[in-house]
Order: sequence, then structure tokens, then C-alpha cells
Amino acid sequence: MYIGIDVGGTSTDAVLLSSGRVQKTAKVYNTPNLMTSLLQALDSVLTGVSATEVKRVVLSTTMITNLIAEQKYHPVALLLMPGPGCKLYKFRDADVHILKGAIDYRGREIRPLDEQEVLQAIKEVESKGYSKVAVVGKFSTRNNIHEIKVAEIIKSQKPHWQVDMGHVAGGQLNFPRRIATTMLNCATKEKYSYFVQSVKEALNKRNIVNAQVFILKADGGTMTLDSSEQSPVETIFSGPAASTLGVQALTPAGETSLVVDIGGTTTDLALILSGQPLLSSKGVTLGDDLLTQVRALAVKSVPIGGDSVVDQVGQELIIYSERMGPPYCLGGSFPTPSDALNVMGLTKLGDIERSWQVMEALGESINMSALEVARKVINLVVDTIAIEIENMFLEWEQEPAYRIWEVMQKRRVRPKNVVGVGGAAAGFVPQIAIRVGGMPVLPLYTSSANAIGAAVAKPTLQITLRADTEQNKFSVEEDGYQGSINEQPFGSEQALNLAKSLLVKRSEKMNISDEVKDIEVTRRDVFNIVRNMVTTGRIYDVCVQTPRGIQWHVGAGGKLL
Amino acid sequence: MRKKTGIVFFPAFDWSISDMHPEREERLLYTRDQIFEEGVLDLPEIAQYPPLVATPHDIARVHFCVPQVDDQVLAAHRIAAGAAMNLSDKIMDGQIKNGFAIVRPPGHHAMRVVHGNRGFCSINNEAVVVEHLRRTYGIKKIAIVDTDVHHGDGTQDIFYHDPDVLFISFHQDGRTIFPGTGFADELGGPTAYAKNINIPLPPGVADKSLLYVVDNLILPILEDFQPEFVINSAGQDNHYTDPLGSMLITAQGYAQLTEKLKPDLAVLEGGYAIESALPYVNLAILLAMAGRDYSHVIEPDYQPEKLVESPQVTDYVHRMVANIQRVWEKSKAITIEQLCGSNKFYQRQKSIYYDTEYFEEKQLEKVRTCTKCPGYVVIDSHAAQPKIGRCRVLAVSIHNRCCKQCIEEGLEAYNEAKKDYRYSYVYLQDKTQDNFLTFNREDKSELRTEG
Repeated sequence: MYIGIDVGGTSTDAVLLSSGRVQKTAKVYNTPNLMTSLLQALDSVLTGVSATEVKRVVLSTTMITNLIAEQKYHPVALLLMPGPGCKLYKFRDADVHILKGAIDYRGREIRPLDEQEVLQAIKEVESKGYSKVAVVGKFSTRNNIHEIKVAEIIKSQKPHWQVDMGHVAGGQLNFPRRIATTMLNCATKEKYSYFVQSVKEALNKRNIVNAQVFILKADGGTMTLDSSEQSPVETIFSGPAASTLGVQALTPAGETSLVVDIGGTTTDLALILSGQPLLSSKGVTLGDDLLTQVRALAVKSVPIGGDSVVDQVGQELIIYSERMGPPYCLGGSFPTPSDALNVMGLTKLGDIERSWQVMEALGESINMSALEVARKVINLVVDTIAIEIENMFLEWEQEPAYRIWEVMQKRRVRPKNVVGVGGAAAGFVPQIAIRVGGMPVLPLYTSSANAIGAAVAKPTLQITLRADTEQNKFSVEEDGYQGSINEQPFGSEQALNLAKSLLVKRSEKMNISDEVKDIEVTRRDVFNIVRNMVTTGRIYDVCVQTPRGIQWHVGAGGKLL
Repeated sequence: MRKKTGIVFFPAFDWSISDMHPEREERLLYTRDQIFEEGVLDLPEIAQYPPLVATPHDIARVHFCVPQVDDQVLAAHRIAAGAAMNLSDKIMDGQIKNGFAIVRPPGHHAMRVVHGNRGFCSINNEAVVVEHLRRTYGIKKIAIVDTDVHHGDGTQDIFYHDPDVLFISFHQDGRTIFPGTGFADELGGPTAYAKNINIPLPPGVADKSLLYVVDNLILPILEDFQPEFVINSAGQDNHYTDPLGSMLITAQGYAQLTEKLKPDLAVLEGGYAIESALPYVNLAILLAMAGRDYSHVIEPDYQPEKLVESPQVTDYVHRMVANIQRVWEKSKAITIEQLCGSNKFYQRQKSIYYDTEYFEEKQLEKVRTCTKCPGYVVIDSHAAQPKIGRCRVLAVSIHNRCCKQCIEEGLEAYNEAKKDYRYSYVYLQDKTQDNFLTFNREDKSELRTEG
């Protein structure tokens, strides 16, 4: 038995799957206490089931996404070693200190660290009241000695400070993105740790002790709950990834669909092309300014949902992009699109009488009936989402993977299926589909699609290998394992095979060796070591991962409207 | 919104001349690493584009490849030229404000007739762009400024009789470096007099004197010529660490040079200090083109006290600039009649050495000294290239602005040569019709490139 849990901004959804069939679903409105919601959700799906038979629990959460969007994370000081190159710009409101050390593209030290300068920076950081520090150097993935040294100095001076290093955050070459990713990891770790503890406790309390626990990543892969504590940023967009996998599971294999997940707080847009979720070729951008290295599905979160607040300004109705508690029909204090759906008879949520009251009140001063107000609100939501879909298509069409798919289709078409999931989908998606010229599809379990997506996600593992033929050594980033290269000659093919065999070994340890059939290569990089114009060795960077995907298709393709 | 700077990156990691050659696979590897690590491709001022593949027709618009385009041109050459073409298209249709083609193989030593590889070059990427721009967009006046340490002898050769293309090259004096040409008296043929400006610099020139040359010579000449499009042959071997050149230019110097020159399109040429110079110089040029702050792009081993130019060099440069200024001023009043009297043709003999493949080509080049148009060019060339052995060819090139009479004479020259048993191949490049023919004596076939 498998459990999927999606901790969203509004509600916590859970689902219990057994041999690919949905046994139970649960939806619990979030309370400030995460543990209460988790326990309630677990209790609903576990009635009449022995908890010890649960083999796997996969979670998704928008927690980190929301923390970052609302800038509710901890303040971070940045100790940066940019060396020569581009001028550095601001990273939101982080406190930036530039240090002298520099490494070049070959991993050579071109300017040594100045330890006095590090000590001075620590003093300044302390005087400003920071206790979280991100240490990031240009080309630190090629040589981390400066980052490690600075972290050591900080630890020796301030043992209680939290210190994060750039080379741990991600192996790709992109200094500004590495800074942002490291900073966000550093800023969210403490709050995320609370999430992890709550989940562990809740599972323990309900006697789920034989299960492996994973959390969904933004690219639709998974990582273990324990390892996720080191890189909480990897969980951003795990919510949209969950609903995308959910739609993948709830529609027939090979379908091409536009996914519209309308929740309480946000509407998430994603694309499934011939059965495969579209992966973004660039790392996630948060807000307008934070470019990260996090690999993700090509999703977009639009800040509008069933619980957005509706207000009247002059003769116009507007929708705010934030949630201020539950909809009026569920005891909230503001009118929302969910109330409008109730009035139009499209949903039956909570106290329908209250929805009528609040719509009527909204229309009073502008001479509109409750029904007219409701219709107008729904049109506003539909318009907003339809425009965002149009904009998103312009971005999707730039993705290399989209272009390849288009070529394979042999014609220029946009997907026809508009698959609606999420609490408010039933009320809005038919109209959105018409607006964008598609066919609305509401699958079974539409409001639990995200939890189902989490439950069906295949566990994935990844190995990042660096092999250096000049020194005849290799190391694995994930667990720090090091070894020597025995094979001669050692080329790009051998490096890939080594990485793959290490991945297989790791999967055997974790009992998921069944998943290691088609290994996905997520990064392959080689650079030559040249001395006096002669190549003396090569460095291979290889990152392999077990394929992302879903374990089962659930249901028969949804109800066609 | 402000227009972006386009970049095409084609490092040709699988193409090299030989294992020990400086023009090697990883020449742009560290440049790529630096640009990726700096996050340059994320900058709002930068847009990256894929390269196009130049067709044999695009190449035949410039070169007479012996025996055929496909015999001299590899995929890597076509992609490097196509990359530059693609950026020129994006500039012309207004998508970007300027572009930098960071590509290899380079091209500025490739001449009009191609028997093989010269100075690491087979195909002249800039010349392919020039002909593409003229044909596709009807641009008339184009300037090429060559900032490589080596004289751009290939580009000079191709446009020597073309009054519509101003070629300016500064370089280390030919008496001290390959290819041994590029002196100030090589000013262009009579129909294109003073449209070829060479600025041979003594070894040891530092940033200040180089920028003096730009401010006092190159910019004023460009201002006079009023080009509609400026291409920079951006060689980076004037750098103080370059193993082939003997100059003292820094990444900052290159960036300032670029900022002053404001090229529409920069195309990478040479530069063989693959570790100490290229990552920094390429980054600095790119930032300068995009209007970003490049002041932090400083080489790790930069020591200003070691890059001091001798007073003699400064003095020499200033005197040379004054001389060339005078030549340029005087050239404005000089007529074809003054240059070659009533002679119907102006002709010159050339011997061209293919340094990569070790053989020599002998050429007799004639241009019709027409007073109404740029005239047509006839080249009688023979060489013993390794691919096909000894062979003699005749090539006729008709400029796109040729008058009716010159077109007729050019066609006749081609047809006459077809009857001449001495020529194994006879070529026609009729740019008025965009028509390129090869006559093969052995089987009497006539091939036309499609395009």
C-alpha cells in the first residue's frame, strides 16, 4: 500500500493506493498546526487498514514555494568569492560580503583566501545580527577548497551558526544561480526541518514504520525525506509536479494534455506531451529576480485560486492575488471565487446560503444581483487564467523539448485536452477550455489529483560523479564516496558506465533496484587539462538518475464532458 | 524594451588541425566555462541563438573552392559561417542590436581561391556574411575591421577590388609574424583605392596606443565611409599572454576597443592563449557589446607594471597614424585614370603559401578598370594541392554592381577559358544573377550550386 500526501497552501490531501487503485481519499483544511492536519488526513485514509502494511509514503508540498514567494524565510548573509569576471548584483536583501579568494575554470587557485578578511566579515555579519551564512565561490564546483576553508573558519568562531556552501547546492556552472540556490537553502532549512519533523512524528504516531518516505522534487523525481533536509529548495514546485504526475496517472498513457490545477491559493499550469511532462531546460526562477539551479517541470504558478479575495473598487470587481483565509461559505470573512461557483450552482461547498449573502452584499452598491456578481467573478477568473495559459504557451514553445515534440507531430498544433484538477477545477475548467479552444476533461478524483500524483511517483535516485584522469580518482557528490580509476583507457563512455554502476549499487541498498532500468543522464560534461598545449588528462562530470515517472495509471481516463 | 546582444556559441569541440596544433578542440572550452559560470546567458541583455548551416551556395558566393566546395569545406566550417550569418539576419530583422559569433574554425586568412587551409582558415566567415547581406538585404556599404594580431590577408584578398567594402586591419607588422603581409601601401586596386587600410603595428603595443589608433584613425575613416553595417573580425591574439603574438593588450583594452568600434557583428578569429586570455577577453567583449559593466574582468596574472609600452613604440605608432591619415585624406581626390592611365586591366601577381598543408599557389589576378562600375576580376591560379595534385584553374568574378558591358566581358572570359585546355576547372561567380558555375574539363560537365 502506498500513501500520497500533498500539503498545499489551503488544504492537505491524502490518498491511499493499493495495487494501482485508489482505496481512500481525504481532504483536510489546513490549520496553523501542521501536525493536526497530517494526522487527520492519515486517519481518514487509514481507517480499516493496517498501518504497518504501508510500503511507501510520498509527499509534496508548496511550503517552501510559499515561504520564498512571501519572503518569510530567515535572513541570510552571503560570503562570496567572485574573483575576476562580471560585476555582482544584489540578491534580494541578503547581506553581501565579497572575499578575496578566487578559483578559475580549471579549479586552480588564482587568488588565495585572506583569513583576516574572513574573520572581519564574520564580525560584521554578527554585528548585523545574522546567524545564517551562505558561502559561495565562483567555480567552486571545480574546486571547493575556499568554500570549505571559509566554512571551517566560521564554524570555529561561531559553532551555532548555520553555514551552507555553494558546491553542495548544485554542480552546474552558473555562479549567480548557485548563489541564489545556496542562499535559499540556507534561508529555509530551519523552517523546513520543522516540516520534516512533523511528518516523521505524524507517521510514527500512526504506526507507519515500515514505509520508505520520499518527497517529490520539482522535476517529478523524488528524494528521501532525510536527504531533502540538506536541500529544501529542491522541493519548490513539488506541488505542481504532483498534480502533473496526477494527471499523467489519471489520463490514458501517451495523451497530450494541458494541466490546469486550480487550488485555493494558486492555479498551476503544466504540459504533458505524448504522456511525458515537459521539463524546463532552465532552472526555476522565483519571482522576477531569483534564478536558481533547481531542475523543474515547465510549470507556472498563477496567484489566483478558489479562495482569492474578491473586492469591489468603484464600479468594478477585482480579485486580489492573495488568500485571506477560507471562502465565506466555509466561515471565512471575505467573498471568493468559490462563493461565486456556489451561487452559479456549479459547486456545493459549505454553506451555500452564506455564498448568496456575500455575493448579494458585493452587488448592492453597484446595482448587480448576486447572480450577476457571481457570473462576473467567474469570468474574471477565467479571463485571468486564459491569458496566463496563452503567455505560458509562448514560453513552452521556446523549450527545446517542445520543439522536438512538435516536429514529431509533423504539424503545428497545441494540445486539445484541457485537464482540470484541484478543488475549484470543476467550476472553471470547462469555460477555460472553451476560451483557449480546447476540450475540457475532468478526470476521476479530480480534487485529489495532487495526492495521487505523489503516491504514484516512482522513487528516483541520482549520482553525480566526477572523475579526474590526471589524478586517477573519482568522487561521488551525494555521499562523498571516493575511489580510484582502474580502467584504462578511461573515456566519456567509461565515466558514464561507472556512474551507472554506482547508481545500481545505491539502488540495491535502498531496495528499489527494480527502478533502475532506463537510467537518465541529466548532465554530462568533460573538460581537458592542458599543460603546454598538450592534453594531460580529462575531467568528467556525469550526473545520472533513475527515470522519473509514474508507477501506475489510475482509473480509465476520466469523465469526458 | 532595449534590444539584446545575440550570441551564437559554436566551439566545434570535434574539429582540430592536429593534436599539437594551437587551433585545437578545447580552444573555446574555458571560454564556454567562464561564460556559463558567470551566468551570462541569463542576463536580460543577452539572447542565445543556434547556428545555421551555410550552404555550398552561400560559400560559392565568396570562394572558388578547388575543385568544389565540398572538397574544401567540412561541416564545422559551414556551421561557423552559418552562425555568423544567423546573427546577421537577427540584426537585420531588428531582433537584436548586435551579435557576437563565438565560433571556430576561424576564417580571415581564407582567400578568394581556396586550394586548402591557410593560417587555420578555409572559409572566410566574414566574407560569407558580407555577400549574404548584400544579396538578401541589398546593403551597399559594409566595413570590416580586423582586430586580430595577424593581418587579415584573406579578407583583404577577397575585397581588394571591391569599393563597397571597406577593410581596415591593424595587426603586428608583417615582418615579424605570419602571414608577412599587411603593409600600409597595400591600399586596394584602382577601382577600390584606399578601401583597404592596413595599420601594421610594431611588437609591444599596449592598450593606450591601440586605443589611440582606434580614436585617431579607425573611427574617423569609418565616419567618412559611412558603412551601413560594421563587422569586427575579433581576433584575441593581441593579448599579452598570446603564444603567437607579441602585443600587450588586456581584456580591458579589448572591451574598450569594442565599445568604441560598436560593431554590429563580431566574429571570433584567432587567439591561442586558451587559458590566460580567451575566457576573459571573450567575456569582456561580450559584456561591452551588451552594455554591461566589464570593469571586473581582469586577468588573474594581470600586472600593469609588466605591460608598459616603450616610448619608441608609442612614438612609432603616433607617426604611423599621422602618415596613414595623410594617405586617407589624399586618396579622396585620386581617380582611376591617375592610378592606371588608359590601361584596360590592372593586374598583379601573387604567390600564396598554404602554411598548414605546405604548398604554394601562383596567381595572376586582373581587374577590369571600368569607370562606370567596380569591374570584374579574372584569376588565373595554379597550385599542387595535396588533394588533387597539380592543377590550374581560371576564375571569373562579376561584382553585383557591374555594368552591362563588364557583365558581357566577364561571361565571355568564362566561356573562352572553357575552351582552353590548360585549365582543369573554370569558375564563374556572377553576383548580379547570384549564379555560380564550375566547368570541369575532364568530363565537360558544368555544375551550378543551388540556392
